[in-house]
Amino acid sequence: MIEVKNLTKVYGQHRAVDNISFTVNDGEILGFLGPNGAGKTTTMNMMTGFISSTSGTVTINGHDILDDPIEAKKQLGYLPDVPPVYGDMRVDEYLEFVCDIKRVKKSQRAAMLDDITKTVGISEVRSRIVKNLSKGYRQRVGLAQAMVGYPSVLILDEPTVGLDPKQIIEMREVIKRLGERHTILLSSHILSEVSAVCDRVMIINNGKIVASDTTENLEEGADENVQLIRIKGDVLTALDIIRGCEGVNSADTEPCEEKGCTQIRVYAQRDNDVRADIVRGLTEKGIDVLMLKSGALTLEDVFMKVINGEYDAPDIKENKATDVSDMVEAADMGAFTIGDGTSEEADRDASDESEDNVQ
Amino acid sequence: MTAIFKKEMRTYFNTLTGYAFLGFFVLITGYFFVSQNVAAYNADYSNTLVGTMIMFLILVPVLTMRLFAEEARQKTDQLLYTSPLKVTDIVVGKFLAAICLFLIGIAITMIFPYILSIYGEINVKGLVGVVIGYFLMGSCLISVGLFVSVLTDNQIVAAAGTFAALFLLLMMDSIATNAPITRIPSLIFVAVIIFVILAVLYNSTKSLSGTLLIGIVCYILLAAAFIFIPSLFDSTIIRVLGWLSVLNRFENFYMGVFGLSDVIYYLTFAAAFLYLTVNIIEKRRWS
Repeated sequence: MIEVKNLTKVYGQHRAVDNISFTVNDGEILGFLGPNGAGKTTTMNMMTGFISSTSGTVTINGHDILDDPIEAKKQLGYLPDVPPVYGDMRVDEYLEFVCDIKRVKKSQRAAMLDDITKTVGISEVRSRIVKNLSKGYRQRVGLAQAMVGYPSVLILDEPTVGLDPKQIIEMREVIKRLGERHTILLSSHILSEVSAVCDRVMIINNGKIVASDTTENLEEGADENVQLIRIKGDVLTALDIIRGCEGVNSADTEPCEEKGCTQIRVYAQRDNDVRADIVRGLTEKGIDVLMLKSGALTLEDVFMKVINGEYDAPDIKENKATDVSDMVEAADMGAFTIGDGTSEEADRDASDESEDNVQ
Repeated sequence: MTAIFKKEMRTYFNTLTGYAFLGFFVLITGYFFVSQNVAAYNADYSNTLVGTMIMFLILVPVLTMRLFAEEARQKTDQLLYTSPLKVTDIVVGKFLAAICLFLIGIAITMIFPYILSIYGEINVKGLVGVVIGYFLMGSCLISVGLFVSVLTDNQIVAAAGTFAALFLLLMMDSIATNAPITRIPSLIFVAVIIFVILAVLYNSTKSLSGTLLIGIVCYILLAAAFIFIPSLFDSTIIRVLGWLSVLNRFENFYMGVFGLSDVIYYLTFAAAFLYLTVNIIEKRRWS
């Protein structure tokens, strides 16, 4: 179990991580989601004792990472954002060295390394020199390193970065399998990955936790749904009509692959079916509706809303930060927060990345 | 500690570093052996060893430049500092590996005095003393190299920095001979040293009032000493630098004097730089 309380890291004037608290329960896979520069890596570096915190505590299975570092680190396996591998060693030599520094008993080593290399799929490259391996394999060697000694807690910083799609799927399978034995905290800016692997998601932005819930709750808890409408005709009129319909919260155009058409994404209240109104309104004005597709709010939508500061979450409690329904209420009441320049920049990054990755 | 030691030894011999170091070490020592012993019909190997010391300027950086710089570059420091190892173990392990390689070099070159002993009389006791001094001095220089390596994540910068630091250290005697011997510069020199010590003290304790108190006491004592025993300040710079000089200490070994104070000086010197290295690492992680 990992307990993080009021963790803060200040670099000069910049608060990289701002008073965050959460708990990862035994056997849970917690996804740590946020745009680049949100403070994910800093948080993980503090949790693993690589850097100190400005204030706050991290406890791994009851051992404080700063007061009792040796015991706490024995419970930990860490895969940093760059896999910490020595280029001039063979994979076997490297894992043997990791066994040395983690004080794994000689008698257990052979079986453990066989098992780990099989799990992450590097059995066939064990005698190769690390620097000659591809990025994907190096990433896996990094993961194998984190698993050495079977620590009860695994902290993985963007484990699938730089992998090809096939490897990403394999890596997810590996992590899911690991989740049966380990408590895992996994960071990512790839939403599909998090929803595929994690039991619970925590969204961090500008050093603060802005939402935390199960993936299902995040996706379903929002009492909003999405309609995709493809039209042919005057876009501005169409938007006016759609926005005028009762129950529509917002509507915006988005890229459309069909030529001469426009696609509009409509967010509407869940208990208010707006489809009939919209279609009627559009056809009356002579705008053709070519497609109407409804869907639940995806994690991407929740993420974007949270990151854009459209939800205001005033009191984030430990473990269960904010219910999405609470956030929607807050949004309904008009309690919007408007991001400053920096967060907008982060938003843009995030939207670029999520658009790339969510499909 | 043994894990780090084993890993560093393995890296020395997995890469060219270990072979290059040993090769040059033996080659240069061999050159001096031939020119000063064999060609000169001279059985004094101690003198030869003194001549080879100039190669420390190049060989110590070869030995130490990658120790920490490379860890930082390939981010493997994250593995080391998040593993259940103490920073002291990591630093000492690396240091031991470097001096072990140095020791291997010394062991190989012992074949030269052995060759001499076949054809003539050599002063074994004297030579043992000189070799111990040689090893201690080399270890001190290695500790300096280790310290410089932790300051950067670039091996070349580490090597150049180590070269500069060792150059200053070995030139200390000739710098000292040109130092002013009058009393006023000596006073300033001592005042500056006290200031540096105070700065280090403040940096590690973060207690301004305590540091100020100690500082005021020190400077009052200094002023008192200057007024009442001014002879203390005759050529102080030369005496202090001479006392600090790594080479000066070695001279004693060379003269056949095996003094405990010299051994302790070398051990303290190396320990101080290892301590500084540990502190830099801790400091960086705590800032």
